[in-house]
Amino acid sequence: MFLTRSEYDRGVNTFSPEGRLFQVEYAIEAIKLGSTAIGVTTKDGVLLAVEKRIPSPLMEPESIEKILEIDSHLGCAMSGLTADSRIIIEHARVASLNHRFIYDEPLKVESVTQSVCDLALRFGESGNGEERIMSRPFGVALLIAGVDEKGPQLFHADPSGTFVQYEAKAIGSGSEGAQTELQENYRKDMTLAEGETLALSVLKQVMEEKLNKTNVEMASVTAAYGFHVYPADQLQSVIERL
Amino acid sequence: MEYATQHRATEQAIQHRFDPYADNGGTILAIAGEDFCVVAGDTRQSEGYSINSRYAPKVFKMKNNVVLANSGFHADGVTLTKRLNQRIEWYRHAHEKDMSAPAFAQMLATTLYGRRFFPYYSFCIVGRGMVYGYDPVGSYERYQCRAAGSAQNLVQPFLDSQITLNGQKDAQPTPLSLADVLCIVKDAFTSATERDIYTGDYIELHIITREGVETQLHPLKKD
Amino acid sequence: MVGKNCVAIASDKRLGMQAMTISTEFPKVFPATERTYYGLAGLATDVQTMSELLRFKVNMYKMREERTIQPKTFAHMLSSTLYERRFGPYFTEPVVAGLDDKNRPFICAMDLIGCINFAKDFVVCGTASPNLYGMCESLWEPDLEPEDLFETISQALISAVDRDALSGWGAVVHVITPERVVTRTLKTRQAVCLC
Repeated sequence: MFLTRSEYDRGVNTFSPEGRLFQVEYAIEAIKLGSTAIGVTTKDGVLLAVEKRIPSPLMEPESIEKILEIDSHLGCAMSGLTADSRIIIEHARVASLNHRFIYDEPLKVESVTQSVCDLALRFGESGNGEERIMSRPFGVALLIAGVDEKGPQLFHADPSGTFVQYEAKAIGSGSEGAQTELQENYRKDMTLAEGETLALSVLKQVMEEKLNKTNVEMASVTAAYGFHVYPADQLQSVIERL
Repeated sequence: MEYATQHRATEQAIQHRFDPYADNGGTILAIAGEDFCVVAGDTRQSEGYSINSRYAPKVFKMKNNVVLANSGFHADGVTLTKRLNQRIEWYRHAHEKDMSAPAFAQMLATTLYGRRFFPYYSFCIVGRGMVYGYDPVGSYERYQCRAAGSAQNLVQPFLDSQITLNGQKDAQPTPLSLADVLCIVKDAFTSATERDIYTGDYIELHIITREGVETQLHPLKKD
Repeated sequence: MVGKNCVAIASDKRLGMQAMTISTEFPKVFPATERTYYGLAGLATDVQTMSELLRFKVNMYKMREERTIQPKTFAHMLSSTLYERRFGPYFTEPVVAGLDDKNRPFICAMDLIGCINFAKDFVVCGTASPNLYGMCESLWEPDLEPEDLFETISQALISAVDRDALSGWGAVVHVITPERVVTRTLKTRQAVCLC
């Protein structure tokens, strides 16, 4: 297995005889090293929660941002090589604003995910007319949360450019355990508050550090308030409910 | 002196002009009712004092059931309609839904503005539930009723008085029925045909309701 | 505008230089006789000069002929006055409306050098004339009684004037019947909006 792999894992645009693109698969592996991120859809809105790794006590925890706003109705949590997400987020924001400019309406959650995934495969040599942006696949996976005319939705996009819709999804190093937890405890009719509790309690179980208001980040996207990052005191009150 | 004139004449450069626009005349109008919308246009196409066609439609039903009326340069109107239909189709593939009327209205504005320095010479009116009116470079507004084209000056004040009851202090604005609106549209075109040589032949009108779009053709004077 | 044994004549009250409004109480319709009125649209100085000149001519006619001038005669007098200045015209476009000695309605309009347009229904002139044509063509019908004629001409004028940036600031309407002349002023949008 590893012998054959060494032949075909150099180029980003070469299939192995078994029909695999190793660089893309390695990129997916890279995400499994990243911090855990969780998304939960409730009937009132979508919740995103991520773990922040703070290797040094001298680090300012606020300087790590792993949940970002794409538009007022779209948010995104990430895991993996978060630096790569800058290009993706920029692309998503442009797509969303451009849609508003042309059509005077918010972009659908699925459409913004699709547009991000279109970008994910633009590595390797440039095609005809298409601008090449990256030399390698992205090393980041995204949980894209949003509210549109179809209600609250959560999408998972990975470096292969595949996207799937989820009711609840975990990515990153603790994703296996977290996903099992979510499967056991998720209910379709959860309120936003129940979603908050679920997301944080699952995160708490898979985190190595003790969960507190500085080493997690949480955000919600609701029809009423749109994208909203929880400030420290709000986060604290959710933690106290656990 | 004579020599000088001659000299100047021989040295005069030959001038070439590129004039890519024509005014094909015609009148369009749209009226929004409570739960319906009427978009109408005459079907005469003229150039100067000649009539090119007595039946050249300038009101088009788009793929998302929006009705678009164009007046001005007919070729630009047709091209614009084609491009917009293409955009509607792309939108449907990308977002798995039909483009709404406000989305179409905004898209038309950006499409027109995209040609800010070589505009589509087309005065558009859009209808489906609501009515939007445009200038050729995309500035637009929502209206209850709107007329455009060669008899705009004749028709718009009439619509103001009959639809928005402009200047009738004691009049109660009751919702207009479809039958009332159709009468007003026909009257407006009959009057415009009397005084505007570019308007005539037929009215083609599109009635947009929740059920879909119905098209009717009515004769006008052909002189 | 012609009605049944009556005529009506109306104008707005704005005086402007292009977009600038100079006066909002500028009369443009004048009585020639008790039953003949005329309106002058155009250059204000010519409107005033013409009205004074016509007043003089109408009075001279009355003294020489010892009878009141008929609307049709007045129209021809006005026309020839304008044509006298064929190559240096008064910049005015007149309309005439009146009842003749047999109470028959008479209306006509002319251009600035006096080419008369006799009409049996309505005549218009001025900056809002396309608008007025559209309105009158739709609203007018034959044999209107004085009150209906008043309503028709008023609605036509109001709607037309509101879509013309160069007209407005109220209007004056005269309805001429065999018995009397009823003069009313109308309030329209008291603003001129240029965007």
